[in-house]
Amino acid sequence: MTAHTMRSPSRPLLLIAPAAVLIGVFLILPYLNIVVMSLREPATTTPYGSGFSTAGYAKFFADFYYVGALLQTLWIGLLSTLVCFVLGFPLAMQIVRATSRWRALLYGIVLSPLLVGIVVRSYGWTILLGNNGVINRALLDLGLMQTPLPLMYNSFGIVVALSHVFLPFMVLPIMGALQAIDPALEDAARSLGASPRRVFRRVVLPLALPGIQSGAILVFVLAVSAYVTPVLIGGMRIKTMAVIVVETLIDQFQWPLGSALALILSATATLAVVLFMRLTRIRWK
Amino acid sequence: MTTVAIQSLVKRYGSSTAVNGISLDIEHGEFISLLGPSGCGKTTTLKCLAGFEAIDDGRILFDGHDVAQLPPEQRDIGMVFQNYALFPHMTVAGNLAFGLEMRAKPKAEITERVRAVLDLVQLAGLGARYPRELSGGQQQRVALARALVIEPKILLLDEPLANLDATLRDEMRTFIRDLQKRVGISTLYVTHDQAEAMTMSDRVVVMFGGQIAQVDTPEAVYDRPASAAVARFVGQANVLEGRVAGANGERLIESPLGPLPMPQRLGLASGTPVSVIARPQAIALSAVAAGTPLAGTVAARYFHGAFIDYRIAVGDQMLNVQAAPPALHAPGDAVALGFDPARLWAVEAA
Repeated sequence: MTAHTMRSPSRPLLLIAPAAVLIGVFLILPYLNIVVMSLREPATTTPYGSGFSTAGYAKFFADFYYVGALLQTLWIGLLSTLVCFVLGFPLAMQIVRATSRWRALLYGIVLSPLLVGIVVRSYGWTILLGNNGVINRALLDLGLMQTPLPLMYNSFGIVVALSHVFLPFMVLPIMGALQAIDPALEDAARSLGASPRRVFRRVVLPLALPGIQSGAILVFVLAVSAYVTPVLIGGMRIKTMAVIVVETLIDQFQWPLGSALALILSATATLAVVLFMRLTRIRWK
Repeated sequence: MTTVAIQSLVKRYGSSTAVNGISLDIEHGEFISLLGPSGCGKTTTLKCLAGFEAIDDGRILFDGHDVAQLPPEQRDIGMVFQNYALFPHMTVAGNLAFGLEMRAKPKAEITERVRAVLDLVQLAGLGARYPRELSGGQQQRVALARALVIEPKILLLDEPLANLDATLRDEMRTFIRDLQKRVGISTLYVTHDQAEAMTMSDRVVVMFGGQIAQVDTPEAVYDRPASAAVARFVGQANVLEGRVAGANGERLIESPLGPLPMPQRLGLASGTPVSVIARPQAIALSAVAAGTPLAGTVAARYFHGAFIDYRIAVGDQMLNVQAAPPALHAPGDAVALGFDPARLWAVEAA
């Protein structure tokens, strides 16, 4: 028998075993734990009771405070994704077309938000956006405004900060897609009579779609589940689902309700992503 | 149909000159090849013609109209790229319709013309496929169809066969040439493959270093090359350095291999240095006999099927000789060499 036929059929399984164990122990088990926890009975003196109930889910649907927060969260995620796309696409385009020296520099600038901790970055935005922050101070001192602009403690501030933080996750996949476009395609389209604008609309944009798709999903998922930035920028006034989940779990000690809220958030986000992928299905790949 | 005139075209990249003042006329329906080694400026010339590169000097005329300032989309050209450049996100029919859509043709006309051109390139029924679902040869034909369906003024081809395997390349050569004749479109074909240029073209333009070395029919380029460099690039050539001999008018050349009679009057003064070009087919080999004027030794022998390729050492010269099979001479054999005067050619030495 040759070495090849002697090879055990379980060998591929062995190779993926470490990764499988990692994912199983640190992702799937906790997830199952949350699912079970969300179905526990609420209690007053302990985090959860001994029986099972769907009270957590019922509370979510009964109280517009939670439904409203979910919608608010999805809205913030959507806006952040849009802002990242509007800012990120031209940027990605510019980086891809830049000469190699400029490309390295721009690339570094795009990645720079990732080099600073998220807490520091969010605090940075509070310094800029706060009622007593740099922008409002300047406007007031210059006499352009009588009262400070509401830049913080609202969804505007959260979207601004999230877009800054997650911009690289939009730019990088789009860059990848743009770089993969054969420059001869643009020449071909021009030779066939397309103006540069139509080349962009009919050739470049559709071919960048896979990158846009990945970037949009990444930014949306990250923005919807973000905690630090909304908590620092939104303060007590505006609460996203992630903030409420943490409050419910840590401050109110209601583990079943907190788990249910967390699951509802991730289920909704998953649904949104699936819907988005359906809408932007790419048939030519 | 369109005549194209390139006049004193110059294209520079920074300090280096890619195309240095070339002029060329392409007649109605003519198939012209730009042949040269890589970096000779042939592709740059094509790009200038297509409008992808701005020219630094000279004029490009389509039917007498200067198009040098027009962007590519207004030049009405059909271009086939080396890697085909098919739009991967469009079906074959979508690729073919693209140029017609840009010209705002009515839907019914587009459908009809796409169908007709698919027939023309023998791909009927494949309109709904995506490019990645096609073979290399099929993609090539889609690229051709896409360039032709817009009925352009001129067809430009940039090394279109370079990515195909040898068998398919031969097949596509005939296919492209037949198609071009049927459509009757003026065509400029860029290649570094002299066999492609020779078999397909009405005229061949040989380019070196941004300049045209020779423009002529394939036969003339092969039999009467303008320089030793052209002779070496187009097919194989034995180049012997010699001088015009005074005796026998000016039709005798004193070469290292002895006096060689020339078929043409050279119009050169006695003693002028010249390069004699002897194609491998212009030399005959025979067994050495008494009184053999010129003899050499077989240094190597290569079997090609249709012919035998010999390397013959004569003094310190190495000659390429091709002879029809069977292989009569083995390496190490002494052979007699005979030059066919009708097939020799001489140019003034560079």
